[in-house]
Amino acid sequence: MRLTLQMLISHGRMARRMGLGPESRINMLRNILTGLVRHERIETTLARADEVRFYAEKLVDYAKKGDKDEKAMKMASFWLTEKDLVPKLFKVLAPRFETQSHGYTRMARIPNRQNLDRAKMAVLEYKGNPFPPLYPAKKENELTLINQLLKGYREERAQQLDAKL
Amino acid sequence: QNNTNTLGKVLSFCSFASAAASLRPLPAEVRSQRNAVFSREQARQRALYPRIEKIEVSMHGPGLDGTLLIMNRGMSTPLSCARHLTEHHVKNSALALVDGEPWPLHQPLTSSCSLTLLTFKDSDPTLVNQAYWRSCAALLGQVIETAFKDEYTVELLSTPEVAVTSGAFCCDVVLDPQLDSWTPSEESLRSLTRGAQQLIHQDQAWEPLEVVPSVALEVFSHSRCKQEEVEQKASQNPKGTVMLYRCGDHVLLSGGPLVARTGLCSQYEVTALHNLGQGSWGVQRRAQGLSLPLQLQAHHTVWRKLRQRAEKLVRATNLCFLPQTVVQQS
Repeated sequence: MRLTLQMLISHGRMARRMGLGPESRINMLRNILTGLVRHERIETTLARADEVRFYAEKLVDYAKKGDKDEKAMKMASFWLTEKDLVPKLFKVLAPRFETQSHGYTRMARIPNRQNLDRAKMAVLEYKGNPFPPLYPAKKENELTLINQLLKGYREERAQQLDAKL
Repeated sequence: QNNTNTLGKVLSFCSFASAAASLRPLPAEVRSQRNAVFSREQARQRALYPRIEKIEVSMHGPGLDGTLLIMNRGMSTPLSCARHLTEHHVKNSALALVDGEPWPLHQPLTSSCSLTLLTFKDSDPTLVNQAYWRSCAALLGQVIETAFKDEYTVELLSTPEVAVTSGAFCCDVVLDPQLDSWTPSEESLRSLTRGAQQLIHQDQAWEPLEVVPSVALEVFSHSRCKQEEVEQKASQNPKGTVMLYRCGDHVLLSGGPLVARTGLCSQYEVTALHNLGQGSWGVQRRAQGLSLPLQLQAHHTVWRKLRQRAEKLVRATNLCFLPQTVVQQS
């Protein structure tokens, strides 16, 4: 074959190459997605988490169609290698995301793997999982001087409004 | 003396006879006398520990639990303990808690104890907030006392304990009878603010001194009103002593611990001077102000709203919010 420069440069190519080939890539993503549905929060490399994100959200969209739907059941049984997770997908995850139309997953980077490869790692989770939050919400202290002054200010304003009415 | 001149210009329309002024000692003399007595008592208390004795101070706090410091009895203060730790502790600690008791940062430690340094950003800064409010009121009292011309007397009454949520700290004063009809204009309030900002800029420390009532009576020998306050505070204190504080060359009496230095305040404004009516010493005025510490500065929009609220008269309710564990309170 012609050894062109195009073979070595991959500018603008969005599709990632994982594993031994496209089939190997799909199998790997299937395994990771099964782990995600079972545990609802997993830790993998950044690239794999990013790839799985798309498939995880598409799977939830299929699950929302209901388990009576032929296509949805085929997709679920293909993508979930452990068949006891198929009822969990339709009965737990689909109702959880009924009100949302997109954005069912959250990804957060964590420190690189300590092995020789120093790979970029990420945590991928389904929203609404029972674990403590990845980004804990910092509660502002109500008792600091400025917050106490503002509290007094707010109360006085409320009193004035009540007196007006 | 810049602010005195500005205030003098504002008051220049009053042409009053100053016959009574010659009978009273000059404010400068009074100040130097009080300073001299304070320094003498301070030196005497320091001389009680001629030899250096060591005490063990165990620190408590985030990241400090279990730290043991060997300090000198009667010489080391909680500030010196903080200086053994880090610059953050020195700059940010406003008050100390020694064996659960609020302790001013510059007061020497007398025995082995457990020490906690309190800042404005703790999870429960109520004690620090109260001490800060008291210190700002003391600063306001100092500014007012030094702001007027020598011919007008200024008597500081006891600063009422106000809750922080009321929006402003207050300082009760009784001015010269010649100034009964004087209402402060915005310019005079601004010059008082400038005086306070100068004191803050000088970063004076509030040096505490625990004295027996007789020494306090000697300090305030020129002011009958202050002597009554000393007796009242001495009767309320279970130990029978009175806490004096010195800032620069001004000695004052306080009902509770004050914060470490004037430099801890950053935004400070004197907002109003209300007329309370005739009291036992003369026409009582309540000076109010608003201040925020260096670590908790407010955006100018927030500051404007709080300042507008601080102009309204604050009525001092009686001491219902103080925590029960505090000892050095009135």
